[in-house]
Amino acid sequence: MVLIAVIMLYPFWVMIGTSLKSEAQFLSGGGFSWLSWKNLTATIPVGQEVLSSTIVCTASILIILAVGLPAGFAFAKLRFRASTVVFLVIVSAMMVPLQAILMPEFVNVTKLGLTGGYLGAIVVYAALGTPFSVFLFATYFRGVPDELIEAGIVDGLGYFGALWRLVVPIAIPAIATVTVLQFIQIWDDLLVGLLFIQNTSERPITVGLAVLAAGRTTSIPELMAGSLVSALPAMVVYLVFQRYLVKGLTMGIDR
Amino acid sequence: MADIDFDGVTKVYGDGPPAVDRLSLHIDDGEFMVLVGPSGCGKTTALRMLAGLEEISSGTLRIGGAVVNNTLPKDRDVAMVFQNYALYPHMSVAQNMGFALKIRGESKREIARKVEDAARILRLTEYLERRPKALSGGQRQRVAMGRAIVRSPQAFLMDEPLSNLDAKLRVEMRSEIARIQRLLSVATVYVTHDQVEAMTMGDRVAVLRDGQLQQVATPQDIYDRPANEFVAGFMGSPPMNLVPCQLRPGRSRVEVVVADQSIELPLGYADTHSLPEAGADVVLGVRPEDVLIADATGANVLKVRVERVEALGSEALVHLAWGEGGASSSRDARSRSFIAKVGPRVTFAPGDVVSVQVSPEHIHFFDAGTGISLRAGGR
Repeated sequence: MVLIAVIMLYPFWVMIGTSLKSEAQFLSGGGFSWLSWKNLTATIPVGQEVLSSTIVCTASILIILAVGLPAGFAFAKLRFRASTVVFLVIVSAMMVPLQAILMPEFVNVTKLGLTGGYLGAIVVYAALGTPFSVFLFATYFRGVPDELIEAGIVDGLGYFGALWRLVVPIAIPAIATVTVLQFIQIWDDLLVGLLFIQNTSERPITVGLAVLAAGRTTSIPELMAGSLVSALPAMVVYLVFQRYLVKGLTMGIDR
Repeated sequence: MADIDFDGVTKVYGDGPPAVDRLSLHIDDGEFMVLVGPSGCGKTTALRMLAGLEEISSGTLRIGGAVVNNTLPKDRDVAMVFQNYALYPHMSVAQNMGFALKIRGESKREIARKVEDAARILRLTEYLERRPKALSGGQRQRVAMGRAIVRSPQAFLMDEPLSNLDAKLRVEMRSEIARIQRLLSVATVYVTHDQVEAMTMGDRVAVLRDGQLQQVATPQDIYDRPANEFVAGFMGSPPMNLVPCQLRPGRSRVEVVVADQSIELPLGYADTHSLPEAGADVVLGVRPEDVLIADATGANVLKVRVERVEALGSEALVHLAWGEGGASSSRDARSRSFIAKVGPRVTFAPGDVVSVQVSPEHIHFFDAGTGISLRAGGR
């Protein structure tokens, strides 16, 4: 465990240590300086980029949850014609790699006039993340006793009411799992942000870091400081939800 | 409060046979009706159709005189208690009980009053703030009852609500549910496969098999006058002994030939019991408690062999076999064996040959082909 912890934490230690050095100190191997942090904020609008990433992430995840929850519920609990086939088609979309659909997506989103700001990226991220969330929620909801929903329906709820008032409150582990996994995926993604958010004032932090690394010379301490800023929100989200995450990821095992 | 009327109600899933087949059953306002039968007999399907959780394939279902075939569950004003209680795990006991009232838009004060009243009846007052997972099985069951009671519905529907409880608690809750039902006097449909629940709780019992109603009557009537071989064999523990036999004309009366021995029926018996002509094959039924093991000789005494004795403390079950030799098949073995329920102090052992006597008034006859009771007056 200690060895694994060291392997996992060492990159962070290096990242923190390097970010607290100037270029010269980094090359000489010793010293302490806030210079790289000052330079980072001067080179790229870090605050704005973190905000952009947050907006894109939050909006995408909200759409993914808003679509995934009712769809997963419908596939798990409602009987309708060809539901298995439709479910398989949706789930099979998870197998399609992003790179394979990126150009067609770009063409479509451009035709809709959505490239430029956040909206194009949000739509693409939501479309990419929804199949997984439908799969995960359907799996989770299959473990919810039918009687619980039927009790709600006899008590006076409709199916949507039963979903929001009875099922969602007990689906927190599944919601946390989708949120964390999608957050990490979207937050760390460069390609979609680079292609679909063309306004420089709205670009996410990953694109900002790429710009930082794309200059004629790259300051490693500056890059490490930027990477640290980029990594922190994902870590915070993970730590907030981690107590639900294990339950969400292992669901179905003990049933 | 209202009465309930199943009028030729049928439920068919896909191309399969009917799960419920032309069920016609009237439940009076305030009546406690028990639907009983083996697994897959359609009792739960009938209940779910009544709750609105299953669509009706054909027939008419009425609650309080109004046809509810296409009425949504929430508009039927019925409350259901599920086998696994189906309590909302994220809500407290009070919230669980008041949930339907909250959806209905009743005021917080009114909800609190009704929940407290129901909690008092169910002795749940001290548990109102607890979550379901912090309750015992019996308490959860009572919360499920409470959730139904607070609504003051037109009918209570209960789907095997005691089957998840241990034996001792089940006995307690049996009388508790019956007490509450009588107190509230609301039409109740109670589904169970447990014949003891059926016998002890219901005003009337409806026995189902393969989706078809076999008999509806008071528990004692079902026990004393089963309409057919299935009901006779299903109700009662141990079940009624059913033995294929033949009628033949005796010296002055009709005789029943069982294996190679015979029982003579009194004069006029054949007339009052709609027995077929002498020579016909019938099935003889006798309750285990009506089989007397005695040292008697003479008329209507059969010689049988003791196979096994099960001592139950307050009584003993003696497994007996007709005739000699082993049976050629399990069906043959069943037809050659029967059970007597006797007092706890038995003096005989397996292998002994004993005399048994069956009083003709305790004998039931069933048609060997259809299984229908041959008692005069039919059902």
